[in-house]
Amino acid sequence: MSARGTFVVIAACIVATAMAPQAGVMAQPGASDFPEAEALKRILQLGPWPVAARNDPSNRVSGNADAVAFGAALFIDTRLSGSQRIACATCHRPDRAFTDGRDRGVGAARGDRNTLTLLDVAGQRWYGWDGANDSLWSQSLRPIVDSREMNGDLARLAALVRSDAALRQHYVRTFGSAPGTRDDRIAVDSAKAIAAYVETLRSTRTAFDDYRDALARGDVSTASRYPTAARRGLALFVGKGRCDLCHSGPRFSNGEFHDVGVPFFAERTRVDSGRYDGIRRLQASPYNLLGAFNDDPARSTATSTRHVSLAHRNYGEFRVPSLRNVARTAPYMHDGSLATLRHVIRHYSDLDEDRLHADGESILRPLRLSDVDIDDLVAFLETLTSAGPP
Amino acid sequence: MRLRSLLAIALAGVMPDAGAGAWACGDELGSARRLEGDRYVVAYVTVPAPIVAGAHFVVDFVVCPRAGIATPDSVRVDAMMPEHRHGMNYRPEIVAAKNGRYRAHGLLFHMSGRWDLTFDLSTATGTERLTETISVE
Repeated sequence: MSARGTFVVIAACIVATAMAPQAGVMAQPGASDFPEAEALKRILQLGPWPVAARNDPSNRVSGNADAVAFGAALFIDTRLSGSQRIACATCHRPDRAFTDGRDRGVGAARGDRNTLTLLDVAGQRWYGWDGANDSLWSQSLRPIVDSREMNGDLARLAALVRSDAALRQHYVRTFGSAPGTRDDRIAVDSAKAIAAYVETLRSTRTAFDDYRDALARGDVSTASRYPTAARRGLALFVGKGRCDLCHSGPRFSNGEFHDVGVPFFAERTRVDSGRYDGIRRLQASPYNLLGAFNDDPARSTATSTRHVSLAHRNYGEFRVPSLRNVARTAPYMHDGSLATLRHVIRHYSDLDEDRLHADGESILRPLRLSDVDIDDLVAFLETLTSAGPP
Repeated sequence: MRLRSLLAIALAGVMPDAGAGAWACGDELGSARRLEGDRYVVAYVTVPAPIVAGAHFVVDFVVCPRAGIATPDSVRVDAMMPEHRHGMNYRPEIVAAKNGRYRAHGLLFHMSGRWDLTFDLSTATGTERLTETISVE
């Protein structure tokens, strides 16, 4: 551990030295404003991007091209829903970074939570705001059968796959045999095909990635093209703001759950307990990674499910979302209650610590940011937008 | 379990004081960290090493009672971030192996920073807590 830590620090120092101002090297204004060693170390931990794609061992058709095609067809098929009018793509719109732009999702009924993007979700430890699912395929099945989302059911889905010629052909190509008699098996297989498709929804590189990689290789010229305001915002992000404690790594998320002081009343008389109920539902689900539908006999991705611990402090905790393409996924927070990035930053700036619900956790503190600070943080977050599609 | 306990007690009776002499607790673990308490010495290694934030790891460890001290009835491993006043989101499971060795599965440090890794070693007469502070990049 210490050896690696030493290497990182040395590498950071080397890069910092390489990036130090040199007469005649940096032509653009602001190029001499390179991060200090500690900030540089933290910036480098936010990449590189993209991360290597790995197939999901719990899904035997993960990475299978036929499964991707089958999943893509199911993703836009409204017949999966009880009303025959709602598809996965109804809320996860490709033209909106696979979100819907609403504060809370609206399917068969208005939901309690904001629709999360599907970009870069492959390989997450937990899915959904509450982490009630531990695989992308179980998460893909959830909205289909949720009464407030697509309001379908396993029997309807299985019957559709058996009876529709095109879907049946997709199924045979993907799984090597005709759909059988078990509705739950066909439904889960269909969800695994959807997951195989969703795994392919990966965001492309961003201006931040170019800057981060330029810092890593000591490329002064490229680094100097990164906007000055974004650079100041990034310094706040990894410095005073300590945002990277939770929005960490190349995905800008530690994949876990925190209470950030957003009220958890779904309605005036009803509470959304977030992670607390998420763990309970995970543990009760027949579709979790400890169950019979996991295709990996070794249960190699089930460690988190096996060891996850339910605690009172989980009440009101929600998963830390990725910040990649965050400028395209408004509104924000688990309930969509904050309309813009500026509102989100102001929330953290003016945080009322008395409103935090967690039992003693003390990560957050009011940042007391100036208007310029907020502008700079917005400028930084906007550089997390992919340069090309999706 | 009973056989392991008996073996550990027998070994404790013949082992030299864990903190003294050429023999050192956990030599068989290789480059182990050692935590010295009044009643026990714990030697441990993590797999992988170093610990990576956001990834599960295991702790292989040996508990060596000081001379005249009974082997612990129960052993517990946990961790917390004192600055943030939170622990892990995962409950480790401890599996006893041979010769006083244990493996704790399922730990995960979900944030970078300073973590206190604790070993609670309990007998009927009380608990000794040994703590190692670990900085996770």
